[in-house]
Amino acid sequence: MSNPNTGSSRPARPSKNTNAKTNKNTKSAATARRAARSRASTRSTATAAPPPARFRSRHPVIAALVPVGLVVAAVATMVVIKASGSSNPPAAASSHLTTGAGAGSTDAADTGATALSPDVVAALTVPTATLNAVGSPASDALPTKSGSSSILKGADGKPLITYIGAEYCPFCAAERWSLAVALSRFGTFTNLSGTHSSDSDVYPDTQTLSFYGSSYASPYVDFQAVEEATNQPVGGSYATLQTPTAAQSALLAKYDPTGSIPFLDIANRYIISGASYSPQVLQGLSRSQIAAQLKDPSSAVAQAIDGTANDITAAIVAVTGNQPTSVSSSATIAAIAQKLGA
Amino acid sequence: MAAYDGVRRLPRQMPLWLQATSLGLSLVAVGIASYLTVTHYTDPAALACPDTGIVNCTLVTTSSWSVVLGMPLAVLGLVWAVVMTGLTSPWAWRAAARWVDGARLVVSGTGAAMVLYLVYVELFRVGAICLWCTAIHVTAVCLFGVILAGRAASSPRVAAAT
Repeated sequence: MSNPNTGSSRPARPSKNTNAKTNKNTKSAATARRAARSRASTRSTATAAPPPARFRSRHPVIAALVPVGLVVAAVATMVVIKASGSSNPPAAASSHLTTGAGAGSTDAADTGATALSPDVVAALTVPTATLNAVGSPASDALPTKSGSSSILKGADGKPLITYIGAEYCPFCAAERWSLAVALSRFGTFTNLSGTHSSDSDVYPDTQTLSFYGSSYASPYVDFQAVEEATNQPVGGSYATLQTPTAAQSALLAKYDPTGSIPFLDIANRYIISGASYSPQVLQGLSRSQIAAQLKDPSSAVAQAIDGTANDITAAIVAVTGNQPTSVSSSATIAAIAQKLGA
Repeated sequence: MAAYDGVRRLPRQMPLWLQATSLGLSLVAVGIASYLTVTHYTDPAALACPDTGIVNCTLVTTSSWSVVLGMPLAVLGLVWAVVMTGLTSPWAWRAAARWVDGARLVVSGTGAAMVLYLVYVELFRVGAICLWCTAIHVTAVCLFGVILAGRAASSPRVAAAT
């Protein structure tokens, strides 16, 4: 072959015209440079730490795992940041404490805007047997049919449940318990906080939970909650907390022309305007005491809260196509659904 | 004589135990992702997972973050796991095509990068951790590590051209 390198990808090759003497000189110079590099390398090895390139060559596996180490370190950092942040009150509770005009003169216990205790959160998942035992007491008001034939759906196509209330409102305080119990059969809440109704309104200081700052996830329904105001008086009213969207305001205007709260729209098929039971039932009770009675079907608290939760549940399964079957198959829920005309 | 003439690279000769480990991890990922996918389309609330505050699988798997561009993350995870299983199968390890080696690295690295994003979403957006998701995250990072370690421990074989 005249040219043995044809087709190779070598980056440089000697010119065909280079003579033998030049090649010899080039080889000698290269040899000298290699020897000098070798001596320098030996000196540096004796006096300094090996450079990264040498580490890579000596410990290739460990060096290759550096990206994995970075991933693990990043995850660990996020966990640490989350863990250190979770020791503080949730953002919702913090904003409650600083929004009201009296924030500077009242302490946290007065506002009641605290993280909900795990016991109370756990109690919102009421055993099915208890709920069935309570049924639908005649004293509880049933959701009313809106007359709409279509089911309002949220952004991801699930039936949309809209709640509008306010933290100062004692009737909202009562209704929230039932709504939380009912929705807990369809999904999971996080970051619920504890609050209470106004100290200066009827049924003062009714202990309850707040949807403000919470999130809800369910495979069956979407839930949007608006807490319009805190329980902190400001100039004859209460400090604004959240403002309904245009769509939510339209729902309120259409189905609740008087604008009374609490307002609950269950996918435009069922409406609740006002409390379904009297907040009097909850007077003088702490959140923990209310929560503890939820599992006692004979208690007045369970009759009111769980009973209303059953009514709401029946309305919800009517818009979810009887999903989940674990809920809709209950004879109690089926009976209430029949009363609702579902 | 030119040393560059007529040579071709053969697939990396990764230690057999590393090949087996990578395939095993991929199959574990397929199993977990399949479970998450099935429950996603049947009853997400039926996931075998404790609900103890920060740990809440249903909350994570039904959140708005669980769907990307209309595709459930569980399905994307299953696709990724199936592709990784193919790339870590004995046939793939024996494959002469160099793109297989590169694809193995890229796909496993993509999995590890997704882990970072998903952990961020779980911790700071959803506010809950899904144990099954965590299991597949650990699997993905381990798989990435095995692929990297295997590449480092083995060098491309060179053989004379035929």
